[in-house]
Amino acid sequence: MTRVTKSTSDDELRKLVRDWLQAHWNASDRRPRDAAVQNWVRVVFDAGWSVPTWPVEWYGCGLTSQQAALIEAEFACVHAPGAGLDRFHLAANTVLTFGQDVLKREVLRGLVVGELKYCLLYSEPGAGSDLAALRTRADREDDHWLVTGQKVWTSGAQTADFGLLLARTDWSVPKHQGISFFCLPMKQSGIEVRPIRQITGDSHFNEVFLDSARVPATHLLGQENAGWKILQTALAYERLMMGEGAGERRVGQEWHASQNDNSVDLLSLARTHGCHENPWIRQEIARALGYRHLNALNTDRAKAELTVSRSSSLMSLGKLAMSRILHEDARVMTSILGASSLLDGPQYPDAADVNYRTANAYMTSIGGGTDQIQRNIIAERVLGLPREVEVDRNVPFGSDRNDTAMR
Amino acid sequence: MSDLSLDVRVAMRDAFHKLLAKLSREEDVRHAMDTAPGYSARLWEQMSEIGITGLLVPARYGGIGAGPVELEMLMEEAGASLLCSPLLSSGVLSAVVLSSSSDEEIKARLLPDLASGKRIGALAFTGNRGLWTADDVEVAAAQTRDGWRLQGTSSYVLSAAQADFLLIFARRGSGCACFEVDPKDPQVVVEALPSWDATLRISKVICSGATGTPIAGADWRIAERALDFARIALVGEQAGGSRRIFDITIDHIKTRVQFGRAVGAFQAMKHMAADLLLEVESATSAARCAAQALTEHAPDAGALVSLATFTCKDVFVQVAASAIQMHGGIAFTWDHPAHLYLRRARADAQLFGTSASYRERYLAQLEQRI
Repeated sequence: MTRVTKSTSDDELRKLVRDWLQAHWNASDRRPRDAAVQNWVRVVFDAGWSVPTWPVEWYGCGLTSQQAALIEAEFACVHAPGAGLDRFHLAANTVLTFGQDVLKREVLRGLVVGELKYCLLYSEPGAGSDLAALRTRADREDDHWLVTGQKVWTSGAQTADFGLLLARTDWSVPKHQGISFFCLPMKQSGIEVRPIRQITGDSHFNEVFLDSARVPATHLLGQENAGWKILQTALAYERLMMGEGAGERRVGQEWHASQNDNSVDLLSLARTHGCHENPWIRQEIARALGYRHLNALNTDRAKAELTVSRSSSLMSLGKLAMSRILHEDARVMTSILGASSLLDGPQYPDAADVNYRTANAYMTSIGGGTDQIQRNIIAERVLGLPREVEVDRNVPFGSDRNDTAMR
Repeated sequence: MSDLSLDVRVAMRDAFHKLLAKLSREEDVRHAMDTAPGYSARLWEQMSEIGITGLLVPARYGGIGAGPVELEMLMEEAGASLLCSPLLSSGVLSAVVLSSSSDEEIKARLLPDLASGKRIGALAFTGNRGLWTADDVEVAAAQTRDGWRLQGTSSYVLSAAQADFLLIFARRGSGCACFEVDPKDPQVVVEALPSWDATLRISKVICSGATGTPIAGADWRIAERALDFARIALVGEQAGGSRRIFDITIDHIKTRVQFGRAVGAFQAMKHMAADLLLEVESATSAARCAAQALTEHAPDAGALVSLATFTCKDVFVQVAASAIQMHGGIAFTWDHPAHLYLRRARADAQLFGTSASYRERYLAQLEQRI
């Protein structure tokens, strides 16, 4: 195929993408034309459409983000996944930006096309909202580091090939300044993964125990002790991923639109349970449906604002709004079910559903930053209110630090 | 109704913004609310010069011929500055009823002066229950040898005491129809009602055999159409008012120092502020989407207008009420503007129906669409 460059005109680029999609993608079935294709993203990647803004020496074409947007738009038109990974792929973009060449050669391609899996080794039992208080240590030994500690809330740890790891490498400096960022090989003996049983009964997350796990020195990202800054970049990609919500954007082999729709038909449920004419229930339903509707309108407006400016304050509100939606849905469903919400199990699917939703809503209101932390962030970063005082911000972390409150 | 070009829209908004910054400052609002008419004739005149009074009147009657999108946008400005004027009564309700009728004689006679702001109209279309539904109309029209006579009371009539002509909905046969009534008719009594929102001018209009001129083609469907525009005007006002009192509050908590820190540094304040921001943004999105949908005659326009209406009613009240709490003692004083926003918010929350009634309407509209 013709390699596109920065100087390719928009019209030419659009035509190239369109023709390529026409030849390879069956838009009506939302499948690749070639039934033998196992990994569609790899096909897209090899054609150059996955990471077009990346530099030429690293699988990209050095295109501008405006050009990349044209490519994404063409893919979106025919509901084809696989484009825009240079915006969305958290691990690959972090490695591209901060990784050493050895590491990039080893993992970049595999990460983008989904043949290498990764997990995030950030949170710890003693470092949740206050992530910079982490205590997992990495100590340098010749050409590698030895990592010891415990991580928690790690999804995908069983299958991951690599973990993006935050570990403390200097204990003599304040907490943000002694952290380094690594790409840790997960398939090794010093790592034990134990699933966590959640309040829903599910196990999406794991604890990861690290006991002298080895990470090559070539897998350090950025400078030693500069991990906090790198984390900010990684988090920005993560927020971008979460912010755009549902759609065909899921990275990986599946080419069905991802089912990110957690909405519930409250009206049908009320009809089933014979209370759809109860005025009080109707008020509750209207309010809950309204919250969801408003969030969609806010998201639309945020997207419109993002086309004219780099950021929209609306984006940071989405997570807080979704927390309320999920908790409210569950609460209203419970009102609709009344006493039957006491029941559970497969014979009582409505009850099982509402009970599950009630418990699972905390995934959003706690995970990825609690609602309370989110409110602080909105107040400080969007509204410009004064920062919270952090009593340990400028205090050397110290290996003997204990977790009792500082005064 | 035609859409204005983006440039014209922005120019109008800027002109209105500048005008309000000059003539609808807090001191102007306080002055206006202490006068009988409740608005400044000078401000009204200048509103007319930039096309606000005739915004919804078709161009061939001397208006701008704008639609819901422009109305909502300008009302955000009006709400932010707590504009006191007969705009809702004359420029929205009366303008839409008259423009939507098929009565060329009345349109030609009334609309040009309404558009220029020279004459003010008031629409009487609800009774003592204040439900703004056809069932709630308590005035009856009867045909006599000398024409139509109206009997009965309308209530919650905006700007009736300021009006040069009244448009009164009355029962006629099995339905409702609109009549033009001269407020100087001795058979008409306009009784001003005291309102907690001192910037509001509402009255009862009591007809005891008043002469009514029927307006051709003005049945209850036209009242509904006027209500749609009034809802858009109101959600714009509420979104704009919410935003302004929210901004005033955030400025306050950034500068008010207690315990050696700006009070906005405390999480108790931050969390209220973050929650209110979500409400203000939601109100803004809802108001603008509803206006857009109504302009485009979108199939979900009805539901969006209902959603915006109950959201903006609730949000403005919540934001204005929280603003007083977040200010502390200073906002408990008459001299602080926060209570003016709460008064307007509580008035807007009741006009044209309660938020609960709009939640019910929203749900019913969603059910119809399934």
